[in-house]
Amino acid sequence: MCTAMNKIRYFAAETWSSLRKNLILAIAAIAVVAVSLGILALVVMGWNMFSNMIKNAERKVGEVDIYLSDLTMESERQAINDYLVTIPEVDPLKVTYKDKATALEEFKERFKDQPELWEYINENPLPNSFQLITKDPKDVGMVVEEIRTEAPYPERVEDIKSASSAIAKLENIFDKFRQIGIIGVIALAIIAMMLVSVTIQVAIFARRREIGIMKLVGATNWFIRWPFIMEGISEGLVGSIMAILVALAVKVWILDKLIDNLQFLRLSLSSGLLVVLVPCMLIGGIVIGALGSAYALGRFLEV
Amino acid sequence: MIRLRRVTKIYKGNVYALEDATVDIERGEFAFLVGPSGSGKTTFIKLLIKEEEPTSGQIYIADTNINQMRKWKVPYLRRKIGCVFQDFKLLPHKTVFQNVAYAMEVTGKSRRITDQQVPEVLKLVGLGHKLDAFPDELSGGEQQRVAIARAFINRPPILLADEPTGNVDPSLGEGIVRLLEKINSSGTTVIMSTHDRSIVNTFRKRVIAMENGRIIRDQDRGVYGYE
Repeated sequence: MCTAMNKIRYFAAETWSSLRKNLILAIAAIAVVAVSLGILALVVMGWNMFSNMIKNAERKVGEVDIYLSDLTMESERQAINDYLVTIPEVDPLKVTYKDKATALEEFKERFKDQPELWEYINENPLPNSFQLITKDPKDVGMVVEEIRTEAPYPERVEDIKSASSAIAKLENIFDKFRQIGIIGVIALAIIAMMLVSVTIQVAIFARRREIGIMKLVGATNWFIRWPFIMEGISEGLVGSIMAILVALAVKVWILDKLIDNLQFLRLSLSSGLLVVLVPCMLIGGIVIGALGSAYALGRFLEV
Repeated sequence: MIRLRRVTKIYKGNVYALEDATVDIERGEFAFLVGPSGSGKTTFIKLLIKEEEPTSGQIYIADTNINQMRKWKVPYLRRKIGCVFQDFKLLPHKTVFQNVAYAMEVTGKSRRITDQQVPEVLKLVGLGHKLDAFPDELSGGEQQRVAIARAFINRPPILLADEPTGNVDPSLGEGIVRLLEKINSSGTTVIMSTHDRSIVNTFRKRVIAMENGRIIRDQDRGVYGYE
C-alpha cells in the first residue's frame, strides 16, 4: 500500500516535470485532441438534432397518406388497396389502412397535453385513410401523381398528403455532412495521436540519460514506461476536457437558442445524449493519448 | 558466484571483444580485471548485466544461466548487481541524496526507508555532509563515491566497477579502491576493471589479465604485469 502510494507520487511528479519541459509541443498536441473531439461532439449533436427533427415531423420520409371519403364502400376500399400494393415504387408490405376510430385515438394520444383540441368533439371528423411508404423517398411526388390519375374510384379519394421531398433532400445532405464529419474526426484523431507521440518522443529523448541509468539500477520496463504513458494520457485528457467545455458552450449558447427560436422545425436534442457523449469524449481523449505514447514507446524506447 | 564458460562476443565487423573466456569468481572475492583499452574489460562487464548478449558460451550468476533469462527478469538481475562507471553516470539536476535515493525509488522502496538508508550509505562513503550538493559541485573523486553509494544502496551481492578511478585525480584513486575494499569486506563480490598499474600493485588482489579479448593470466594476489 505504502509502496503503491510512493509509486503514484513518483509517476505524477515525473509526468508533470516532463510536461512542463516541452510545453509548446504539449499544447499543440492537446489542441489537436481538443479540435478532433470537439468536431466529433458537433457532428454527433448536429446529427442528433436533425434525426430528431425527422422523427418529430408529421410524416416520415417517403410517407404518403390517402384520405378516403366516408361514403367509400368496403369493395371500393378493397379495390383501392389492391391498386396501391401494385404500384412498383411502393413497398407493398408498408401499405396500411387506418379507420376513423383509430385515427381519433391516435389524435387524442398525440395531443393529450392539449385536451382542448379534442374534448368538445362529438362526431369524429377524421377520415378513414391509407398510409403507404415508398421504397425510395424521392419517388413520393411521382407516386402521389400516379394515385391521383390512375387510382380506381377517384371520387372516393378526398385528399393525398405526403412528406415533403425537401426533407428527403435534407437527409441526403446531412448524410454527407455526417460522413465527412466522421472522416474528418478520424483524420484529426490520427494527427492528434501522432502529435502526442512526437511529444513523448521528445520527452524520451530529453530523458535518455536518465532512462539509461534507470535500467542500470534495475528499474522494470513498466516503471520506465509509466511516466511517458501518463504524460500521453494527461495530454489526451486535457484535450478532451477542453472539447467537452466547448461542446457544452455550443449546446447552451447556440443549439438551445436554435431549438427555442425555430420551434416550427421541431428541433431537439435527445435528453440522454450528453450523458453518453461526455464520457465517450473523455475515453476518446484517453485512448488517443495512450495510443500516441504507446507508439512512441514501441519505436523509441528499447527497454 | 559468477561463472563464464567459453564465452565469446563478436561485434559487427568480426571484432572479437571477448574470445573463449572461461573464469570462476567466488562469493566474496575481489578481482581486478586488467589490460589495455580495447582488451575486452568493458564487454566482460556488459555481459554480466546483460547489456550485451554473448555470441556463444554460457554465463551463470548465482547458479542461474543468464543467457536463458527472460527479458522481464533482467531488471531484477540488475538489482543484484551494483555498477560503477568511469563517467559516474549521475543525474546532473538531482542532488547527491536524490541520485542515490533514485536507485531505491525504482525498486519501489518507501520514502521512509529511503530517507533512513540513503544518509547512512552516504556517510559510509564519506559524503554524509554533502547530501544536498549537486554533482557538478563535487570533485571527480566525490562524484565517484556518490556513484558507489548508489550502486551499494540496495546491498547487491555483486558490485562491478568499470575503470572507477579513470576520471578521478590519481591521488584520490586509492581512496576509491579502499572504499570498494570496505564494501567487499561486508561480503559483496567486487570486480573492478582498471589499467592503473600502481593501484593493482598496491592492493595485491586476484588479477585477471586480458589482451585482445582473451584472458591471458589469472593469478591470486597478483600484480599488473610481469616486468
